[in-house]
Amino acid sequence: MVIVKRKELSFAERLYLPEIFRALSLTFRNMFQREITRQYPEEPLPKTEVTRGQPRLVELEEGSLACVSCGLCEAACPAYAITIDGGETENFIEREPKLFEIDMLRCILCGFCEEACPKDAIFMSDELELAGFTRKGLVYGIDKLRRPRAALQKRIDYVYRINDRWRNSSSTH
Amino acid sequence: MSTTRSQVFEYERGAAAQELKDDPLHGEAMVLNMGPQHPATHGVLRLVVTLDGETMRDVDADVGYLHRGKEKTCESLGWAKFFPHTDRLDYVQPLANNIAYALSIEKLAGIQVPERGQILRVLLMEVSRIAAHLIYLGTTCIDLGAITMFFACFKERETIYNFLDAYTGHRMNNTYVRIGGVYADLDETSTGILRTWLKDFPRAVDTFEKFLTGNRIWYDRNRNIGIIDRQMALDWSLNGPNLRGAGVDADLRKLEPYSGYERYDFEVPVGTVGDCYDRYLVRVEEMRQSARICVQALDLLEKTKGGEFLSEDRRYVLPPKGDVHRSMEELIFQFKIVTDLRLPKGEAYVPIESSKGELGFYLVSDGTAKPQRCHIRAPGLMNVQAIPILSRGRLLSDMVSLIGSLDFVMGEVDR
Repeated sequence: MVIVKRKELSFAERLYLPEIFRALSLTFRNMFQREITRQYPEEPLPKTEVTRGQPRLVELEEGSLACVSCGLCEAACPAYAITIDGGETENFIEREPKLFEIDMLRCILCGFCEEACPKDAIFMSDELELAGFTRKGLVYGIDKLRRPRAALQKRIDYVYRINDRWRNSSSTH
Repeated sequence: MSTTRSQVFEYERGAAAQELKDDPLHGEAMVLNMGPQHPATHGVLRLVVTLDGETMRDVDADVGYLHRGKEKTCESLGWAKFFPHTDRLDYVQPLANNIAYALSIEKLAGIQVPERGQILRVLLMEVSRIAAHLIYLGTTCIDLGAITMFFACFKERETIYNFLDAYTGHRMNNTYVRIGGVYADLDETSTGILRTWLKDFPRAVDTFEKFLTGNRIWYDRNRNIGIIDRQMALDWSLNGPNLRGAGVDADLRKLEPYSGYERYDFEVPVGTVGDCYDRYLVRVEEMRQSARICVQALDLLEKTKGGEFLSEDRRYVLPPKGDVHRSMEELIFQFKIVTDLRLPKGEAYVPIESSKGELGFYLVSDGTAKPQRCHIRAPGLMNVQAIPILSRGRLLSDMVSLIGSLDFVMGEVDR
């Protein structure tokens, strides 16, 4: 425990006038210091692989989605932003989403979908800006969400790096 | 019929008005609405002030404008999905809320957090405490007309947010705490940002003190205003710096250490008089002590490099991504944990010392995937309660420094 010291004002401080000159001298000194203001839209914040932007779907080399519409991201979403409807295809991976919608107005960019996905199909991109004229236009479907794997590679590597750090497999092996 | 609280206030206000009317020197009492959108009320707090000239006769603090039903949301969402919602309670220190919620769940489930996870949590809690106190200082000063202090505080806070951005990927609403630890380890970049900042920060606090402690305007507007004595602070269940400013040496980090706080060397600042000035001094000293804890935590992190920071308990903690592809068991665990995370029957409450006071989540589990009851013990609500009794008989302009010094966030008060 430490008792905080209450200060009594000195005569000069009570007079107030000398204090004004001290303050002004500080102001003038600050004029020659480095500027710390950032001109935001012209000078955006740096984006790294850590940046959790809007979630995007991974598109494989052959042009199909990695998603098999298992519904785990839908179950993990705390904001009820994801809607999935799955279907069968002729491809090697037999299931793909017929409908995959993320309501970007509901999405809170928490990254739970990325964590829950067992197929590496959804990742947080570094896309952050969101603007539109209608609410409906901001409910993104597959066509707006799909990104080639190469575009998300940095984030994918990062997620693997932070996940596979020290851990052994679980005790059930 | 029993009388409600608002009826009592209505009566008191009426009586006060009548008393004034009878007094030949006074006119009619004026009822003034301060808020809910007043910039000085720090959120959406409505204050119904009965004025006699400029003297406040009576104040009724009306809370509830930001009520979003977070407790009920927790009961309908389930255990793990509530984490992002805790961020939005006290939104100036989201990580501390995350940790408070995680601690209660861990006690309920009996999970041991690895050592490195605990050190990381302490670091995050102290960093968010500094950020919250900087907001207190900045906003209180701008309400009292000192715009320089606002910029000085927000400049420091900006570096904290750069650190959080580099570590968690978000500046606010980080959601980086998980059941059993934290999501990711601290990397070199973010450690570097924090270390450089911590070197300069004590000097920045000295600058704040140079601006304010001997400043006559600050002195006049805070000294002997809103005096809370020891007994009153205990009676009204005030907590955090407001309680310590009144001279009670109560800090949960010392009294009931959680997350290994007993390992750190720090002091609990305590005031003597209990006015706004004391609460300011306590908070400034707390920032210094928090910076000390941060340095110690960074040193401990250096020592435990490569250690575990997330529990291995596969009943509650998601398996690593790579293993989910390789092993069937891990895939089953992944599905089990995401869709149907069940906690054993029972109840738990683990309070933490947040920047506002005792913050805790009281959770009752009936063994299903959703909590039966979640009660959030928000320190801000207790601090708001003290407004009417502290402001009676004071000038209206004192209200601004009083609200600032009680330091509550309405997101947490109304929840």
